[in-house]
Amino acid sequence: MLELSGLSKHFGGVKAVDELDLTVNEGEIVGLIGPNGSGKSTTINLICGVFGETAGTVRFRGELMNGKPPHQRLRAGLARTFQNIRLFPNLTVWQNLWVAQNSPQDVSARGFLPRWFGATRRTRREIADLLDLADLGHKDDELASNLAFGEQRRLEFARAAATRPRLLLLDEPAAGMNQQEIADLSRRIHRVRDSGVTILLVEHVMELVMGVTEQIAVLNFGRKIAFGTPGEVQRDKAVQEAYLGASDPGDGSA
Amino acid sequence: MIDFIQNTVDGVMFGSSYALLAIGFTIVFGVMRRLNLAFGASIMLGAYMGTWLHVHYQVHVLVVAVTTVACTVLVGIYVERLCFHAVRRDAALASMVSSFVIWMQLEEAAIHLLPERTYAFPGLFAAGSYEAGPFLFRTEQTAMLLLAAVMVGALHLLLHRTRFGLALRATSENPLAAAYMGIHRTWTVLCAFVLMSLAGGVAGFAILATDQQITPFFGLWATFKGLIAMMLGGMGSLPGAILGGLLLGVVEAHALWYLGAEYRDLSAFLLLFAMLVSRPGGLLGQRILSREELAFRRV
Repeated sequence: MLELSGLSKHFGGVKAVDELDLTVNEGEIVGLIGPNGSGKSTTINLICGVFGETAGTVRFRGELMNGKPPHQRLRAGLARTFQNIRLFPNLTVWQNLWVAQNSPQDVSARGFLPRWFGATRRTRREIADLLDLADLGHKDDELASNLAFGEQRRLEFARAAATRPRLLLLDEPAAGMNQQEIADLSRRIHRVRDSGVTILLVEHVMELVMGVTEQIAVLNFGRKIAFGTPGEVQRDKAVQEAYLGASDPGDGSA
Repeated sequence: MIDFIQNTVDGVMFGSSYALLAIGFTIVFGVMRRLNLAFGASIMLGAYMGTWLHVHYQVHVLVVAVTTVACTVLVGIYVERLCFHAVRRDAALASMVSSFVIWMQLEEAAIHLLPERTYAFPGLFAAGSYEAGPFLFRTEQTAMLLLAAVMVGALHLLLHRTRFGLALRATSENPLAAAYMGIHRTWTVLCAFVLMSLAGGVAGFAILATDQQITPFFGLWATFKGLIAMMLGGMGSLPGAILGGLLLGVVEAHALWYLGAEYRDLSAFLLLFAMLVSRPGGLLGQRILSREELAFRRV
């Protein structure tokens, strides 16, 4: 479904991502982990087109994504959440979900006027489902800026789901969450996956990654050093060294 | 006291069209973080096309109104394509300078269309007035206030109740997130310019119909008034634009009455100066500025 080959991004002399090959198959939940500064976020940003790649290709469902603007990638079925919450603060919870409905299905199912100027009954039902997914049904009329931190994270998750993605990129969704919230999040991730969405999860919180993913790719210094099931990755020597910083070339701080 | 109230009411009436000009500036500033300096000139050229019809074919004032608004929108789209769409990425200053340059071109076009400096502009009503207690209201100014109120109401509904307006506001609040929710940036910017021109065209017509004359200087005048009103209220804030416009109108009306006509524009600049020194973000802009700073810090 998603195929990165030889993907590189250099910022001046720094190779943030270097010759990365990664394949994500349809219906999988794949984790992308690595120490700080290992290139995880850069990889997500390359997949979404925040900036252009230095070399290599991003293919999504066989289609070359290089150079395509964000809204076209979204039409193809790529959606993301942000590491720093990026909601629309002066829109209500309900409106945040409403403006995100820009998938090709939404475009073809509704005429121009109903799509931009009104909300059909179907729209309302779909948003009610999303509110249920995010557990925010009772706060639909609240401004996004008035939500608590955990609620904002949930809303961002639901907003990404509102774009009807085929592949959902989650950029550190569990940052700052407690045990209960992490359990809720993994339940939510499974629920979205079961509705037919493939998931690529970038995360620091090992509890979530090890519990929810089926395949994990480990990055260090922009390179992939391991790929496998959570069990395999945990036993991998190179991974253990990367996380303990035993044999970092030149830098022991990671 | 009666003078004071009378002046305040007059100020609010005239300020309502300043508010529309400021709303125009603020919509585009919100979406693009850019100033369209050619805004006033676009309105002027649109109004010149209306005046041209009036001069050559003596058309009805409503036709002049529709032509003014429609041509302002067309000119607005032209400016967007040339100054903002073509010079877009990472070039805030370039698009501002080019919008200033296009201003000259629009003024030239207006002078070619109607080569004399001053033309009569048809009024909505014959200049008249009515009394309410000790106060005197001018008919044209009342019409201006009503027109502006209807326009503001319509814009409010559009921006808060339709998905179209929400998408516009979403882009203005977080461009990156809006792009990743599939909101098409190019279209959003173009729509913002159309809305800006609609507000500007209506304001321009209301002002010219009250003054009942038009000169090429109207462009400069409208850009100044709109910019000052927007800065007073706070850049990018819609309620701020309304408040700033009304405040500017009221202060000008008082300056006109107590100090004389030559102090009217001077008072506007003094007011802006005082505001920028005491509250650089404008009346309601502080929050928006600090949020932008936050965004920068996060990046």
